[in-house]
Amino acid sequence: MTDEDLMRAVRDGDLPQLGVLFDRYHVPLFDFLSRMIGNAAAAEDLVQDVFVRILKYRATYRDEGRFETWLFRIARNARADYFRTRPRSEPLGGEALERPSPGAGPARQLEEERERQRLRCALLRLREDKRELIVLARYRGMKLDQIAALLDVDVGTVKVRLHRAVRELRDIFLGLSDEASSCDVKTSTRSLQTT
Amino acid sequence: MRCEDVHPFLADYLTGVAPAAVADHLRTCASCATEAAALRETWQRLGELPADRPDTPAMRSRFDALLAEHERRVSGVPRQVHAGPAGLRQTPVWRGRFVVQAGLAAAATLVLGVVLGRQTARPAAPDPQLAELRQELRDMRQMVTLSLMQQQSASERLKGVSWTGQIDQPGNEVVTALLDTLMHDPNVNVRLASVDALRRFASRDAVRRGAVDALPKQSSPMVQIALVDFLIEESGRESAATLRGLADDPMVDATVRARAQWGLQHVGM
Repeated sequence: MTDEDLMRAVRDGDLPQLGVLFDRYHVPLFDFLSRMIGNAAAAEDLVQDVFVRILKYRATYRDEGRFETWLFRIARNARADYFRTRPRSEPLGGEALERPSPGAGPARQLEEERERQRLRCALLRLREDKRELIVLARYRGMKLDQIAALLDVDVGTVKVRLHRAVRELRDIFLGLSDEASSCDVKTSTRSLQTT
Repeated sequence: MRCEDVHPFLADYLTGVAPAAVADHLRTCASCATEAAALRETWQRLGELPADRPDTPAMRSRFDALLAEHERRVSGVPRQVHAGPAGLRQTPVWRGRFVVQAGLAAAATLVLGVVLGRQTARPAAPDPQLAELRQELRDMRQMVTLSLMQQQSASERLKGVSWTGQIDQPGNEVVTALLDTLMHDPNVNVRLASVDALRRFASRDAVRRGAVDALPKQSSPMVQIALVDFLIEESGRESAATLRGLADDPMVDATVRARAQWGLQHVGM
């Protein structure tokens, strides 16, 4: 069954079908949320939140567009509520990355790990709406027109803002010192569009 | 193609679908080529950042518990306390010190449930021992519920809120905990669940007052709407002043203002 068929079944009362959707999407949701908030445990809780909201508001599912777009719209709202209840710029602490390149010597491995940590911190320091564009395009693999539909803006806007977001990310990355060990998650009340 | 015309297409360039004209321009313009290369390098580095891995078995277990609880509430069927290992396997993964405390309490609750089940299978007769066992079971359920509502995980707090519905004649501590959750829990779904759970105690003045106090302090429009509905159903005209304040406040979400206005009409104000 397609995602849309499954969600229609859930909407119409066949709740166990939501388990199939959970199996298909809990990892992509977790990946999106953990990259957005920089906290794996909180991301797991937020995934649960998303499915609670799906159950509660399943009657609002419409046969328009892709299920994935509707699902990530709910995830964005759940994530936005999460940030609304946390203090701004609460340091979460970058989780150590422990996957150096195979075959590299110890010094090179250490350098690679430091660079990955810097980039991870830079991503978390990027303003939330810009980070979201990068996460959706780079990690979720969403096409730009799909991102535009999710954010309810035109695709041209997505292209311009994604370009600027990557450029700004690079500037932040280059400006971070090696001693940056804790990552302040940048939150913002401004977003491209909240649905 | 001019440089300023290329910029909107650099996102396409990163995602690998840029028009041929962009590639042509980059071959002839050193400045744009340098920027494109820098962006491409950052894009590739991003791909090298490993993903955190979720604890899928634990997440699936929590989801199954969520679904089961939701189906139970929808069907109105009371939760069955299962005896023995099968019942214990239903419990989600709990962390830290709470694992020991709640595990012991849950095991004791299950044992008491089995004992009561066997007792009630016999023809009824006034039995002080039975009454005492019932009280102990209530106390333990209440303890487990209140403990769940204090946990760090929103899923566990949500479970705690939903478990309040299974406590026969809950004490004031449960109502107080629900009101506290409504006012202070950081998770919107937990607060929404607390509104549902508080309906059972809507006849109590403290609960209606608590709902009135909580309404203007909520940040989530969904919780505000749930509270508006609660007050309309449970307080009627008594809530008119609060609803009027909400309907007239320009800082309040438009959907919430509309609901408050509808509520005023519904109670005849």
